[in-house]
Parts: sequence; structure tokens; C-alpha cells
Amino acid sequence: MTAGPITTPIEKDASPQGRRSNRGWWIATAVVLLPALIPPISLAWQVVTQGIETPIPLGRLIELFLGTLALTVAVTITALGIGTATAWLTNRSNVPGRRLWMILAALPLVIPSYMAALTIIGATGPGGLLSIWLGVEIPTPYGFVGAWLALSVFLAPMAHLIVTPALRLIDPATEEAAMGLGASSVKVFFTITLVQLRPALVSAGLMVGLYTISDFGAVSLLRFDTFTRAIFTLYAGQIDRRPAAALSVVLMLLALVILFLERRTRSRAGYHLKSTSRRRKRIRLTGWNKTWALTFLGSLVFIALIVPISVLVFWLIRGVSAGQDLGMFWDEIGRSLSVSIIAAVAAAAASLPIAMVTTWKRGRFSNAAETGTWAIYALPHITVGVAVVAFALQWIRPLYQTVALLVLTYVAMFMAQSVATTQDSLRRASSDLEDASRGMGRGPWQTLRRITVPLARPGLLAGSALVFLSVMKELPATLLLRPNGFETLAIRIWSSTGEGFYTRASAASLALLAVSIVPLLALTYRDLSD
Amino acid sequence: MKRSFPLLAIAALAIAGCGSEDAGGPLIIYSGRSEELVQPLIDTFSEETGIEVEVRYAGSTELAATLLQEGDSTDADVFFAQDPASLGSVAELMTELSEDILTQVDSKFADRDGRWVGTSGRVRTFIYNTDTTIELPQNIDDTTDVRWAGQVGVAPTNGSFLAFVSAMILERGEDATLEWLKALAANDPQEYPKNSPIVAAADTGEIDGGLVNHYYLFRLRAEGEGNNSENWFIPAGDVGSLVMPAGVGIISESDQPEAATRFVEFLLSTTAQEYFAAETFEYPLVDGVEPADGLPGIDDLASPDIDLSGLANVLDDATRLVAEAGLV
Repeated sequence: MTAGPITTPIEKDASPQGRRSNRGWWIATAVVLLPALIPPISLAWQVVTQGIETPIPLGRLIELFLGTLALTVAVTITALGIGTATAWLTNRSNVPGRRLWMILAALPLVIPSYMAALTIIGATGPGGLLSIWLGVEIPTPYGFVGAWLALSVFLAPMAHLIVTPALRLIDPATEEAAMGLGASSVKVFFTITLVQLRPALVSAGLMVGLYTISDFGAVSLLRFDTFTRAIFTLYAGQIDRRPAAALSVVLMLLALVILFLERRTRSRAGYHLKSTSRRRKRIRLTGWNKTWALTFLGSLVFIALIVPISVLVFWLIRGVSAGQDLGMFWDEIGRSLSVSIIAAVAAAAASLPIAMVTTWKRGRFSNAAETGTWAIYALPHITVGVAVVAFALQWIRPLYQTVALLVLTYVAMFMAQSVATTQDSLRRASSDLEDASRGMGRGPWQTLRRITVPLARPGLLAGSALVFLSVMKELPATLLLRPNGFETLAIRIWSSTGEGFYTRASAASLALLAVSIVPLLALTYRDLSD
Repeated sequence: MKRSFPLLAIAALAIAGCGSEDAGGPLIIYSGRSEELVQPLIDTFSEETGIEVEVRYAGSTELAATLLQEGDSTDADVFFAQDPASLGSVAELMTELSEDILTQVDSKFADRDGRWVGTSGRVRTFIYNTDTTIELPQNIDDTTDVRWAGQVGVAPTNGSFLAFVSAMILERGEDATLEWLKALAANDPQEYPKNSPIVAAADTGEIDGGLVNHYYLFRLRAEGEGNNSENWFIPAGDVGSLVMPAGVGIISESDQPEAATRFVEFLLSTTAQEYFAAETFEYPLVDGVEPADGLPGIDDLASPDIDLSGLANVLDDATRLVAEAGLV
């Protein structure tokens, strides 16, 4: 893609003073990246020194790898498509109930993938809730189709949340000019809007795609064999943890290849988009278009919200009437909330320097810093957990099984999300403002507080909300790293579904959803104002 | 960002409240058995003895691997696990139990060197939908027969299945086990991640049968379902009806061996054994406590004699064979 009239190249910051201020950002970046680099590096080191030895035959590994790749591509494309569509409809069109749809489209993100899969199974098949409602047996979508559907629908809100602010900040002038010249709104969308959305779509694509690679819950319940599922199996079935670690490195390499390809296709020139607060006219949907839009949004909400929640409520009522108790989990709610909030705030703080050195203050190691944040994000969480356990036992024993190490690991694992959203915010503003502030004699801290943070703010907020939700749902690393007795909501859901305690699992899941909705509402609230 | 600081402070306080840095304090149990199943029992133990307990719940194999990794520096006092394979793989870290404890349970459900003891038993069964027209399996090889093609649910990556495969390796050897696994894989088995969805699927008729542990059906019935399926105890006397004990051992490095011993004794007490029979629908392993209604007596089961102490040595092989057969 070439930089069009809407983009302005950023000039290299060459003044001595600029370089000095860059140094502070680079030091901060190195510090916050360190925890994120330890698990990938220690795993890679293990493979280099011990080689890859796996009980899984090579042919089968290749099959699993290709399956993972196919699923990742399919889910990424579908989730981006759905998320962009919901973002466009709820921001750019006059679809009836626009503001309500805007929230509803984001909400499925609070549902963990294993819960989504479990409720899909509960809704379909003989005796499934949906089959009963419709009077026809809906077959359970096992295998590739099921995993693809479930992950696409439940990850689409990520794309929705990232594309929405990008869409709102695009200068309407170019689009209006094209319309004035007679271009159809479809053509304008594909030739102008989509091009300007590119950085946001890339961030969302990486977030969705690399999440898919590392997902275990949905693929295992919906019975699609992936690399990550095999890795979990090896951890659960073997005392020897080396083969699973070695396979994890293969996944990490896949992530690195994806990042490399993404970078190759990215335009050389850094650019920032001119943003505007000018109001734009919404596209009027009429006739069939309106019907299609409503059908699309309606079915999405039905599949991703109404069905799972109904299944949970159904299990709850069924169990309670059979005399099951719900179990109490106020402590679990408290623990889940506290670690999620701390991790979300810390991840936002940590992402600022990384986002700075990868946008405004690019240098020789910018690509490396960016890669560092994504490498750990693509690792299966169980692998991260095991690597951190090994490292902690050897080097930082006093921190082993403490909340501090748990939160640090969360931050390292999910920082990529807030880095991506913060980069997006910074790209929309010019670093000139910061230079001007320094030039006018403001100190670095004052500049940070008055200029940098306010400009990065939307991204920091969106990022911390995403991290909050990820931590609320996180299970495998939590199991390995938490202090004894530190049960979270996700752990309660895991232990009750594992033994078939569906009533308690439903109650705990509904609690998880209820608690997770708050930050998501806070996030979308700003968008509702207009 | 400024707004975040009060939040941070609140969260930090909340965490401080949850902290548990109490040197030499509670009895620490690593439990591979689920919180849902055993926490009420552990609460009873604390009430009866006044001993404060802290539990770390996770998968049995994962906890065994963790114990090995922690080695001498572990804080754990007790390891309470789902299966003899996990227990056996950390046997070197555990101390020999007293005669008083070991004599309460049939020696075939304990470590041959007395380092762990079985606390309750679960039987491998064949769950089937009561409307099925397929002839039920008379031995474990019948489950891979063409008449069951596409109809058998398995959880090939689940701990209970891997323990079952480990037992088969001890019974038949590696080659024959791989052959059985390949026959299973060739018969279009329906793969699930865990036992409970297999039982649920057999109950709705999604599949006609499945290889599971016996108590998941009782669990499903407690949730108000499970009336269209039954357990079938494979009669041939092979691993198809293996009784697999959950068990417990005391870590040698424990700084409170007395409390740990009391916990092990408690698990073999009538209170605990009755709890296993009534609440988790497992087989009590101490004489004098009967299993739940509707279950055959443990001695009436056609269960093979297998040296369970040897399971740990073949656990990793079991995963390898399952993978070689294409089931991972």
C-alpha cells in the first residue's frame, strides 16, 4: 500500500535532545519487555540444547500443523469480516437500535472460548436446547466447522472493538469527496475506508489469529485436532515436560513467521492518519439493505449471546430443581477481579513505552520489541506457565506461587493487546506535539503527563479492557502459578465442568459474564455519546 | 491513567487480604482430585481436627510433574491424586506409610513399598444408551469391533483413559496395546476431551456407547439427566473393568508429618469412606462401608489383577502409544 494523500510521513527524530528523550523510552521498554522475553527464550534455549523429541509421529505433527494453520486463517478472516461489519453498521449507518447493537456486538468477548464451546454442544445435537426450541435436531458442529464458527463468532468482538475507534477517527472529507464524484458507498468502503482501516485491521488480525493458535478450550471440546491441543495432551499425559515444550517452540516459530509476513506487506513509510472530530453523515439504509443488516446483527447476537446464556440458565434451572446447590464463590469473584484489574492497569502502563518506540520513536530495535510482545502471546498458556514455574524455581524461588508472579505473567502474556491498541492511538496523532512541548521547555514528565498519555489514552483504555477480559478468562497458567488455595472464577468453572457439575459451572459462568460486562460497558460507553 | 491509581490501590488491598504467607502454618495438600469432589470432605477434616488446610487443585499428572520440579524445596505435605500412575511417579518423594494405615486397604490398591494408599475406587465401564440395538461388548476387544464403528465415545487424552492404557500395557505388553489402540482408531471413534461429555452424549443418543469411569453417570443423574443411559460392566475380566483407585501419600520433606498422617487416616475413616460412597459414587476401599445403591459389589466385578505400582513406569509410554495410533 502506498501512502495516499491522507497520510503524512513521520520524520526521523534526529535532534540530540530527541535522541536523549528516546533513550528513556528505550530503557523503559527493555525493562517491561524482560518478563515477556523470559518464557520464549528459555523454551528456545531448551530446544537448542536438548533437541526436539516427541512421541507424536512426524506425519501426524504435519497434519496438526496444517490444521492449525487452516483454522487460524479461516478464523482471522471471518472474525475480521464480522467485526468490521458490526463496527461499520453501528457507527456509519442508521441501522435501527444502533447504540444497543454497538454494545451487543462487543459483549460476546466476555464469554470464554471453552464456555462458548460447551454451550454450543449443549444447544445442539439430540436433546440440545436449540433442537428442542426449533423442534428439529440441529447437528452439533464438531470438527473444523465448529471450531471455526465458535472462535470466529466469539473473537469478532475483538475486531469490532479495535475497528470502531479507527472508523470514527477517519477524516470524512475523502469519503465525501468520492461520494460527490459519484462513487457508490460500497466502492467508497472498499477503496477508501478499508485502506485507512488497515493498521487497525492488522492489529485486530494479529490479536485474533495468534489467539486462535494458542486456544485450547474451544478446539478440544469441539473436537478439532490442533497443535495446541496436542501440547495440552502431552502436558496432561506425560510426566516428562520436554516434548510439549519443544512443540510449543514450533508454534512460536509460526507466530514469528506470521509477524514477519505482516511486516513485509506493511508499507515502508511510517504514517499517521489525520484525525478529525467533524461530524459525518450516516449512510441511510433502506429497504432490503436494512432488513439484511438487522438479520445479520440479530443472528449474530442470537448465536453469540442468547444461545449461550440460555443454555447456562437452562442448566442452572435444571440442576436447582434436581436439588443441586449453586456453590458460593464470592471469594473467587474477588480474586478474579483483583488480579484482572491490577494486570490490566500494569499492562497499560507497560505498553506505553513499547508503543512509543514502535511508533513515534522508531529505532533499530523497534521490530524486535514488537516481535517480543507477540511471541509470548502466541504461546499456549500452559507452556508459558510451565516455563515460568521452571524459571521461578531456579532463579526467583521466593516469588514462586505468589500473586506478584502470577500478575507479572499475566501482564507479559497479554501485553500485546494493549500495545496494539496503544500503537493505534499514537499513530493517529503526530509526535510533533511532543517535540513542541519539549521545545517549549517542558520537562519529560510534564510532557508525558500533558501530551503523551492523553494522546495514547483511548488505546490505553481499550488495551486494559482487553487485558482485563483475557485475565478473567485465563485458566492454564493460573492453575500452575497461583498461590495455594487462590481459586479464581475460571478455575471454579474448570473444576466443576470437569466433573460434570453443570449447575455450579453455570452459576460461576454467569457470575463471570456479569462481572466482565462492566469494563466492556465502560469501553463502549464513550462511543455511545454520539 | 491518573484515574487508574485509586483502582490500583483498591486492588492491591484486595490482594493483600487474600495473601497467605504463613510460615509453618497450614497443612498443604496438592490435590489432583477436583475441588467439587473433595473440598467438602477437607472442610470436615479441618472442623474435626482443627488443622488448617490449604489446597492446591490441578490435574494429577501436572501436580506430579510440579512436585518433581519443586523437589526438596516443595511446600507440599500431602499428594492426593486421581490415579496410581501420578502417585507412583513421585513415589521417591514420598515417605512410607504406617502399618496401621496400610492394613486397612487391600494391598492391591496400595503401593508395593507402602508409599501411597488407595482411598476410593472407580471402575472403568462401558456407558451405553439404553435404546441401542448394538450387542454390548463382552470384552475390551469387542469395543473396537465393526458393529460399534462410529458409535464409541473415548477421551484418548484424558488421564483416566491414559491410566487405562497404562494398565493394558502392563497386562498385554506394548505391541498388543498399540494394536488395540490402532483398531480403536480405525473404527471411527468419537473423541471427547473428558469423560463427562461422553456420558452426556451417550445419554442424548449422540453416540451409542463410550469408555468412561462408572461414576459420571451418577453425577449426570444428580444434575437431573442421565435416565437414558446405563453403565455396562464388561464381564471378561480384562482391563475393560479395571478398578482404579484414587490415592494419597505423604511427602518426605513435609514439616508437619503428624497432621499429614491424620489426614491420610481421615480419608480411610468411616466418615470419609461413606462420603465417597454417597457423594462421589465411588467404591469405598475400607471394609464395612458399602458402595452406592445400584452398583455391584467391588468383589463381584470382573476386574483383572494388575500391579498398580508399575503404572507410573509406563504412563509416558501410554501417551506415546496413543499418539502413535493417531489419537492425539
